Amino acid sequence: MMAEGKPVISMRGIRKRFGGVVALDGVDLDAYAGEVLAIVGDNGAGKSTLIKILTGVYQPSNGHIELDGQRFTMADHSDAIANGIDAVYQNLAIADHLTPAQNLFLGTELTRKFLGLSILDNRRMDREATEVLRSRLGVELRDMNVPTESLSGGQRQAVAIARAVRHKDLRVLVMDEPTAALGPQETARTLGLIKALRDQGLAVIVISHSLDDVFEISDRVHVQRRGTCAGVVKTANVTVEDVLGLITGANAAAA
Amino acid sequence: MTTVPTSQTSAHQRGLIARIEPFMGVLGPLVMIFMIAAFMGVFEPARYFRLSNMNQILLDAALYMPMAMAMTFVITQRGIDLSIGSVAALSAIIVAFLMKQYGFPAWVCVFIALGLGGVMGLINGLVITRLKVPDLIGTLAMDLVYRGFALVLAKGLVLARFPDLITEIGRGQMFGILPTPVVIGLITMVGGYFLLRNTYFGRYTIAIGSNPEASEMTGVSVDRHKVYAYTLMGAMAALAGMMLLGKLNAVQATSAPYFNLHVIAAVVVGGTSLFGGRPSIVGSLAGVLLLSMMINALVTLRIEFFWQSVASGVVIILSVAAYAWLQKKDRDGGGSIGAALANPDNKKILILALIFAGILAVLFAIGAGLATPPGASG
Repeated sequence: MMAEGKPVISMRGIRKRFGGVVALDGVDLDAYAGEVLAIVGDNGAGKSTLIKILTGVYQPSNGHIELDGQRFTMADHSDAIANGIDAVYQNLAIADHLTPAQNLFLGTELTRKFLGLSILDNRRMDREATEVLRSRLGVELRDMNVPTESLSGGQRQAVAIARAVRHKDLRVLVMDEPTAALGPQETARTLGLIKALRDQGLAVIVISHSLDDVFEISDRVHVQRRGTCAGVVKTANVTVEDVLGLITGANAAAA
Repeated sequence: MTTVPTSQTSAHQRGLIARIEPFMGVLGPLVMIFMIAAFMGVFEPARYFRLSNMNQILLDAALYMPMAMAMTFVITQRGIDLSIGSVAALSAIIVAFLMKQYGFPAWVCVFIALGLGGVMGLINGLVITRLKVPDLIGTLAMDLVYRGFALVLAKGLVLARFPDLITEIGRGQMFGILPTPVVIGLITMVGGYFLLRNTYFGRYTIAIGSNPEASEMTGVSVDRHKVYAYTLMGAMAALAGMMLLGKLNAVQATSAPYFNLHVIAAVVVGGTSLFGGRPSIVGSLAGVLLLSMMINALVTLRIEFFWQSVASGVVIILSVAAYAWLQKKDRDGGGSIGAALANPDNKKILILALIFAGILAVLFAIGAGLATPPGASG
């Protein structure tokens, strides 16, 4: 499952300036199918800017992105989704009063014809949402007809992830701090979800502050430091101390 | 593949209150309706439960049903519309002139009224979404504008005597037994229920009220759907204006002054959350019925008309407070007054209240002491 073959998505020489501030300076990044790539780094190291460029929210000042070796550009986030790249944000972007199925299809509702009008096909959305949650994430909610706010943190996370993986052509999933707000049990479940998605052949990119989580799930670690890439290491070959050293700049790249 | 076991223990062990919470919107008003019925059954059964009085309650409630339906959408989106009384009055006055002075056929005028109301609602929506005026201020200001236009047009005139179609809408009987306004009101309620459950507009209304940022991020056009809600509100207010026009067979610029708060009260009593995201069309229907029953009960008991305002206000406070209490997760330790007074903040509030009571008592004493016989001062 490791970094054999060609990357699904590559970023080359990405540079991003906000006014006079250089947030990213010549960053390269590769993500492979069936692999979890963790991005770690201190606050202000450029992690968020990097994934916002990857998901089309920001456009790079210099550098380019390749999908399957083809250069392409994204005008906004919907371009990223159209190209099979989606993100699950830390705040999950869930409407708490809607049911899980309604959240899963929010903005892309399924419809059916009724007296010549297209109306929402609630039954089909319920069915497909249950199916996506079960087959892709292995999650079965006891009751699909409750507001999402009544679910646990991990289940809400599952709903947010399911919204991204529902698209059949999704290939790259970016997750921003997926375990930040979760307790130990829910964290373990969410890490389980990430592994399940990796095993289904997705390229998963996870931003995390928790090195424990990073070492449990990731295949490679991309360390950001002060807007540049301080090194990319295979998780199996390094220790937590090595990665900490890269994050703080105490030792040079070990990869 | 990893299988993730699920547990919902936390959600299911909160007991009875948690279990009935989703139905509170309907249960709350039903309990209050039952209480009013029981109260009136004891004190004035003969006059309150007369068939003609029941009919009167329904007729009164019917007037508010279309507006309560639309207001449910507006409030669910975290909005509020304080202009509906003026929208109803202005659209009714315009079509009244069209009928009386220009001889427009009545059926065309009904649709013109709906269109005018829709346009006024659309303007409200644009003021709020495009000019970024907060809902409360925007619709309050437009209320002044619409009421002003109504006064400019009608001056002090009372326009009266309209074609049969108009009075049919306001007080007619279908098939001899069904009051037409009740049928119209119920149709709008059923339509609202369908809109909420089965259309993009309904789904996005809940999403916007629940989490505007998330809705925006997932590609929901928040502003457009807000404009839709206010447009629906305007059209329904105009419909109510036509029903009122038909009911009284007369209209003037100051008609429908109490629509705003009466409709908002009915919707809130019905369990639609003022904080957005939680609509209840059935609750709004129950709320409308409750308020009509209550006001009718006050009339039946020969209580002075002006007490209605007091009663409506108290009902709003009680129901909102009840929902707030239900929402509270931790209900321990709130019980005793002694415990509440131990809180330093509460002590300071108590002292403030006592100071005011003292000052007022002294002022009253001074006033009474220096009082001269009334009339002597002119």
